[in-house]
Amino acid sequence: MRHSEVIKVEENTPTVKTIYFEWEQDAKPGQFIMAWVPGTGEIPISLSSTDTTKSITVKSYGPASDAITKLTKGSRIFFRGPYGRAFSPVTGPTLLVGGGSGMASLKPLITMDTDAIISARTAAELLFSDRIKGGKLFEVTDDGSAGIQGNPMDALSTLDLEKYKMIYVCGPEIMLKKVYDFLNGKQIRAEFAMERLMKCGIGVCDSCSIDGFQLCRDGSIFSIEELREMTEFGRTKLTESGKRVYLNY
Amino acid sequence: MDDLLKKDTMNRLNTQISGIRLDNPFILASGILDENGYTMKRVLDEGAAAVVTKSIGISERSGYRPPVVVEIDGGNMINAIGLANPGIDNFGEEMKIARESMKPVIGSVFGSTAEEFALLSRKMEMYGASAIELNLSCPHVKGFGQEVGSDPDLVESIVSEVKHAVKVPVFAKLSPNISDILEIAKAAEKADAYVLINTVKAMAIDIYARMPILSNSFGGMSGPCIKHVGIRYVYEVKQETGKEIIGVGGIRTGEDALEYMMAGASCVEIGTAVHSDGRKIFKKLSLETAKIMKTERIESIGEIIGAAIRK
Repeated sequence: MRHSEVIKVEENTPTVKTIYFEWEQDAKPGQFIMAWVPGTGEIPISLSSTDTTKSITVKSYGPASDAITKLTKGSRIFFRGPYGRAFSPVTGPTLLVGGGSGMASLKPLITMDTDAIISARTAAELLFSDRIKGGKLFEVTDDGSAGIQGNPMDALSTLDLEKYKMIYVCGPEIMLKKVYDFLNGKQIRAEFAMERLMKCGIGVCDSCSIDGFQLCRDGSIFSIEELREMTEFGRTKLTESGKRVYLNY
Repeated sequence: MDDLLKKDTMNRLNTQISGIRLDNPFILASGILDENGYTMKRVLDEGAAAVVTKSIGISERSGYRPPVVVEIDGGNMINAIGLANPGIDNFGEEMKIARESMKPVIGSVFGSTAEEFALLSRKMEMYGASAIELNLSCPHVKGFGQEVGSDPDLVESIVSEVKHAVKVPVFAKLSPNISDILEIAKAAEKADAYVLINTVKAMAIDIYARMPILSNSFGGMSGPCIKHVGIRYVYEVKQETGKEIIGVGGIRTGEDALEYMMAGASCVEIGTAVHSDGRKIFKKLSLETAKIMKTERIESIGEIIGAAIRK
């Protein structure tokens, strides 16, 4: 287990915080760490900055993530990693499609040539809209409090997708499935950050597997071609006991 | 790599355990990549001769909250997953998916009484398990595993009940965390084979957090650091009982596998090496083992089982 000192905490939305810490480790966009709160728990979390200064962007959804959002400058952060396969880097125009806190793992991919569709339930929950500087920004909200009212497909359908060298997608599986269905068959390159319950992070416990691939090791980034071969994508997953449940997105 | 595994080389690796034919002596150990049927199928398609399922109990259990593993230098680890499992009634679909590979799937079960073990084993057999592995040795859950497996009378009645309940072979997986493994091995002698060894009970503390890392504090240690403990148990139990043994503990290379087999193992299970080398470990082990067998003029696995045992 590693540890480092928190050097900065940033409040991004009323429910999301970014915790910055120094870690001299080569890490790439799309990779994640297992962040440990001693005595409370451990969660997988994407790196939202991958330079020497690293960061994680966390929304409180359980005891461990809640404790991480309460870290302050000078606190110690415990973690192991980095784990997982990274997004493929490309040069030229790219498009990000981020839903909710899914924007966290897409943030380090932002360049001056990046367009983004950022979606959330409400305007207040739109994450990292302010980081899109060079390219076009499309905001989408469920309630219409900002940008387009609807879902990312409402923005996707207005774009000339073939001009992008890569479309990077991260968000809840139901959104990934809808974006996948929309993009499937088009002349585009796309990569998706998948989400599954993760326990060990090192490719042994089988909690995060999809079609026999371990998200923590073979993913969590998969290309659209890889997803096409997966029968579990958008259809079934296992709970923390290993019980199969049906999604039917 | 496939080209190198020519037919005559592959044939050398053919073996069997309790009458179950195996393409090679490498079986996926219980607890590793064996909760989801699609994963078991992929591991089999990628070169394992058989898989052992995650240990399944009567009712659904979520297991411990993370951290559930600690990585230790040298490809070792300590884990306390906590017998997470969906319960036997929810496991049929995973068995069905795994069995599409057409290779043997061995059902691992855990319970606290002989009746529970018998019921679980019957259901596993009904799901198409080629054999039953009795988890008498998980070191980190109260009331199960090692706690059950260290009571010779209970072990005897469990093995006896299960043998009555099913027609498929029954394997007893024993713990190294007891004072006299031979006493337990004798209590389990109605089993068709022994599986030796389960993980070694252990702990890791983070000195900066001043706390054990695992949420359960204790876990089971596995990886190369326990290999020689396993070799010793396999040798000792084989010498004493002569029964078939599946060796497990720290196998990462063809040399490790041959060492286990010369100590008395008929085949071996692979767990932690999946962490260090990925799923491709199975093809790597087959290739390495076949190569050594060729240069050492070993024509079949059968001729080296127990070869190192001093008469």
